[in-house]
Amino acid sequence: MRLYASATVAEVLDRLLADPAVAEAVVADRTLPARAADMRPFPDWLDAGLRSGLEGRGVTGLYSHQAEAIEALRGGRDVCIVTPTASGKSLCYDLPVLQAVAEDASTRALYLFPTKALGQDQLAGFHELADAAGIEVAAAIYDGDTPAPVRQTVRAAGQVVVTNPDMLHAAILPHHTKWFQLFEQLRYVVVDEAHTYRGVFGSHVANVLRRLLRLCAHYGSAPRIITCSATIGNPGQLAETLTGRAPVLVDRNGAPAGEKRVLILNPPVVDARLGVRASAYGLVERAAVTFLRADRQTIVFGRSRTSVELLLTRLREALREGRGPVGRVRGYRGGYLPSERRAIEHGLRSGDVLGVVSTNALELGIDIGRLDAAVLAGYPGSIAATWQQIGRAGRRRELSAAVLVATSGPVDQYVATHPDVLFEASPEEARLDPENLHVLLAHLRAAAFELPFEPGERFGAAPADDLLAFLGEDGHVRQAADGRWYWASENFPASEISLRVASPGNVLIIDTGGDRPRVVGEVDLFSAPTLVHEGAIYLHESRQYHVDRLDWDERKAYVRPVDVDHFTQAELAVTLKPLEAFASDAVPGGERVHGEVMVSSLATIYKKLRLESLENLGWGRIHLPELELHTTAYWVAVDPAAVAGWRRDELDVALVGAGRALQTVASVLLMSDPRDLGLVSQVRSPHAERPVVYLYDGVPGGVGLAARLFERHAELVAGARDLVADCPCDAGCPACTGPRLESGGEGKRLASRLLALLSGARADIAGAPAA
Amino acid sequence: MTHELARVSSSVPGMDRDPTLLARRLERLRALDRRLVTAAELPPPARRTAAGADPGARAAHLAAGLGGTVEEGSGGPVVVVERATPLPMTLDGLARLPYPVDMERPLVYLDTETTGLGSAAGTLAFLVGIGRWDGASFCVRQLVLPDHADEPALLAALEAEIPADACLVTYNGRAFDWPLLVARYRLHRRPPPVTAGHLDLLPIARQLWRHRLPDARLASVEAGVAGVRRHGDLPGALIPERYFAWLRTGRAALLADVLAHNREDVVSLGRLLGEMSERLADPERRRSAHPGDVASLARVFQRDGRQDEALACYAEALAAWDEREPAPTRLDRDTLAAEAARLLSRTGRHAEAEAAWRALADRGGSTAVWAWIALAKHREHRARDSAGAMEAALRALRIVERRRAVGIPLRAAERDLARRLARLHRRARARRLT
Repeated sequence: MRLYASATVAEVLDRLLADPAVAEAVVADRTLPARAADMRPFPDWLDAGLRSGLEGRGVTGLYSHQAEAIEALRGGRDVCIVTPTASGKSLCYDLPVLQAVAEDASTRALYLFPTKALGQDQLAGFHELADAAGIEVAAAIYDGDTPAPVRQTVRAAGQVVVTNPDMLHAAILPHHTKWFQLFEQLRYVVVDEAHTYRGVFGSHVANVLRRLLRLCAHYGSAPRIITCSATIGNPGQLAETLTGRAPVLVDRNGAPAGEKRVLILNPPVVDARLGVRASAYGLVERAAVTFLRADRQTIVFGRSRTSVELLLTRLREALREGRGPVGRVRGYRGGYLPSERRAIEHGLRSGDVLGVVSTNALELGIDIGRLDAAVLAGYPGSIAATWQQIGRAGRRRELSAAVLVATSGPVDQYVATHPDVLFEASPEEARLDPENLHVLLAHLRAAAFELPFEPGERFGAAPADDLLAFLGEDGHVRQAADGRWYWASENFPASEISLRVASPGNVLIIDTGGDRPRVVGEVDLFSAPTLVHEGAIYLHESRQYHVDRLDWDERKAYVRPVDVDHFTQAELAVTLKPLEAFASDAVPGGERVHGEVMVSSLATIYKKLRLESLENLGWGRIHLPELELHTTAYWVAVDPAAVAGWRRDELDVALVGAGRALQTVASVLLMSDPRDLGLVSQVRSPHAERPVVYLYDGVPGGVGLAARLFERHAELVAGARDLVADCPCDAGCPACTGPRLESGGEGKRLASRLLALLSGARADIAGAPAA
Repeated sequence: MTHELARVSSSVPGMDRDPTLLARRLERLRALDRRLVTAAELPPPARRTAAGADPGARAAHLAAGLGGTVEEGSGGPVVVVERATPLPMTLDGLARLPYPVDMERPLVYLDTETTGLGSAAGTLAFLVGIGRWDGASFCVRQLVLPDHADEPALLAALEAEIPADACLVTYNGRAFDWPLLVARYRLHRRPPPVTAGHLDLLPIARQLWRHRLPDARLASVEAGVAGVRRHGDLPGALIPERYFAWLRTGRAALLADVLAHNREDVVSLGRLLGEMSERLADPERRRSAHPGDVASLARVFQRDGRQDEALACYAEALAAWDEREPAPTRLDRDTLAAEAARLLSRTGRHAEAEAAWRALADRGGSTAVWAWIALAKHREHRARDSAGAMEAALRALRIVERRRAVGIPLRAAERDLARRLARLHRRARARRLT
């Protein structure tokens, strides 16, 4: 058999499934049907230049979602567009903006992208379309790299300003008097990649948009907001929470697509008792090499920078052994020079680059054309991200393929044993909470700085007076004789807020590895003891850093880049005190509660764990002060009568095991990192005087995770019960209730019992000894 | 498929049911925050004396406390404090100086006091001092903001103070005061006042006087140039807090120092113009001026393209340094002489230039290197004296080599000489061959 003959995707799949090692690992094999294009004619009102410009580029009509979006905007509505990558989404906003500029040159538009690279990519596309349409339009990027003289021009004359939320927050809004032409004439605000605005970042961005709209109202403009999101569970709600206004939801993709086959592979169990599985890399390599040898364009997604490099090396070696297309396989990740990245993107579009191994950097909307196959080394952490990555493979007409290989991590194993989660369940919801008191108060200060508040004026959900009075206690805001609230301080409140972290007092992360020390990022105070303690491996943009020194008083962590095969995990001694229940409700086996809690945490030790196998490589002590976190939590209080007769130690093991499973399922349901949710269990809560499992939001004030868990309690408990029941281990493993050694071998049995009780099984059955 | 969305409820379940919940959450936050911020960092709590009080009464109270009046303008009442200071001076000379000031237009001296630095939207001017000189005395009208709410009235009153043909005179007003005021007009959606010109004395003071002053603050410049020293002047950094304290407490006396400081600043603008006019504009009077100031003026004239006046000032400054009082350092003096010589060459006065370079060359020192190089250039290209040019270049080389030997290489001169000597040697060889 010739190894390198070009073959179709169907042939490659046959070849791949003929391999017993692959065939045995298949836990799901689904075919997604082909979809025809749903085309609409150009609307009559479309500018003639735009029309001929599009026709000149071979575009003869609009996809249905594009047509729906621009008609809704034409009708004066906000829109939220939800379509996969490479479906012509940019046209949904570029077209109305160019039309508006063609009709009235004084029109302004603001484009927001979460990263600079995306902004540049989109601006290039915008200019191409404008040139083709023969429309003169001043469109420019305004970000931290924009030189001072250019800034002035952009402020005064930029018709389309491309920026990011951080820049809008810190440089544009507080200086709105210099941008009055923009604010007076703002017609469209584009919020692209909106699904990235979740959690703390999303809560901040929602408040930045509130400030933006408040200033627009002051200057007499009423812009339409165009939100674009990847496919998530609640795009319309996300857009509404972000912008505070209900958009028209456009979520039926009119772009054509060929048939797609999706395989999920779970590597074989190596040690059943401990629940240890073989590495995912072997199967990833096998799948990728088979596609590449058949001359099929393939993208491989790794979860970290290290795994990208590792996979790239393995693929190149495997291809070299049989003289394969080694040089046509490239790596792509943060840290590569922009010019390198552009070259790889171009190579992918032209076909010169056959394979690329990437971090999730290529998950967002950068244009790399359409490929034959996507291989995912590990579950990307959310259903939405999985579909984004799978969506990178997909020809207009021919068959394409996607292969997801699970790792041995708990969330991966949940997905591998419940593949329906991926295919049947709706993707995760993006959660954010603009009403988080910490975030809200910070932006209220910034908003008062920008413009006084009228008495009774709303900021978000409610009139802001009570909150302003609260700020007034520190003297930074005052109510004047006219009843308005004015900023009365020398401080510049916007500079005190970083959109990417929850509260002030962040710890700066300083890279001392280069010629000069350089700030690479920051973490909020409450995460610092577990993320940047001395000896920690800190991950930033998929890059590993070793923390050499943490200066707690100065709030600085000194790090240097390293390349190691392990990560660190800190252990916290946590005590939790409930402060107030916002809502509670009787459920089988006890009560579910949503409320406010105070969490005191003391980082004690950290473990070094090998990246793939999670094998323990050693540990160290952490010496840092105790921290208090004031946040929101969801908790389940178990009815003491239901567990009467359980020994205290049994109950303890059951609560910990069930808690771990709940935490895993919660992170799947809520599209959050498992670390965003803290877990505390109390055999006898000093307040409720009964056994309680708490899941608390890991940032001050919370971002709405707890509230949503409260609502989805039943799903959560059922999911946790299935996770434990379906896990192939015999007595608990890291993928379900935690390693068996921690629980004396009883973890799985006891957790199952408790979860069965909570999901409504009768107590006498649940209490029966496990077989 | 296009569909409407149901309204989402408040993100915290239960929140909408209990109106006192927010109060309790804020109470807990308060307890938490107090531990994060130490008591010393907190300003005293706001007293709500202002809120609800009659705005007119507040303005009247402030006017009475500061010895001013409440004037009723188009935008409402504004507190005005007016004082006149005798200031005999002449400004006739200004027209002869290389600055964009049109004496036919009314000069409006302006200085603001603000609640912070920068011109972001949360900073406002709570006091605008406007100065006018009537030929004998200097009158300062200060517009004071009794409360945040009165800003539209203050801005309207300010419009009336600045006629469209006015030329503003400020100190750092181009970068700070005026953009800040423009920002305030933009914020209130009023067009900012139009002016015919703006003379910012900060860059001028830097050019003329910085060489002999510790810094370029207005008070320092005034002390160093006009010999006026202020007593008990309020440091600028304390001014914003004084205003916030007035807003909190209603004690007008807190602003008395601020008004005095501002009035001094406005009068200083007049004094500095007077100094420039009287000491620097007239060639006769200039003889008594500080030679360093005259040297600075020479450079200003030169930059303005007024080369005859520049050369005259160079000559005066050098003469003063050589005859009356020595220059601060020898290098200062020789650098100025070199600038003068360069300007002579550039304006085609080659004989004078050569004499000037010759004199500099004879003085030795590092400037002499460039003097010899200039002489080499002059002899090679103008006097067509290759041997003389070679000799001058070699003289320069000798100094350069000495410098290098003691570890102070003059690299630019070395490169120049290497090229120059190579060319001169080549020519000399070519001449010998023919």
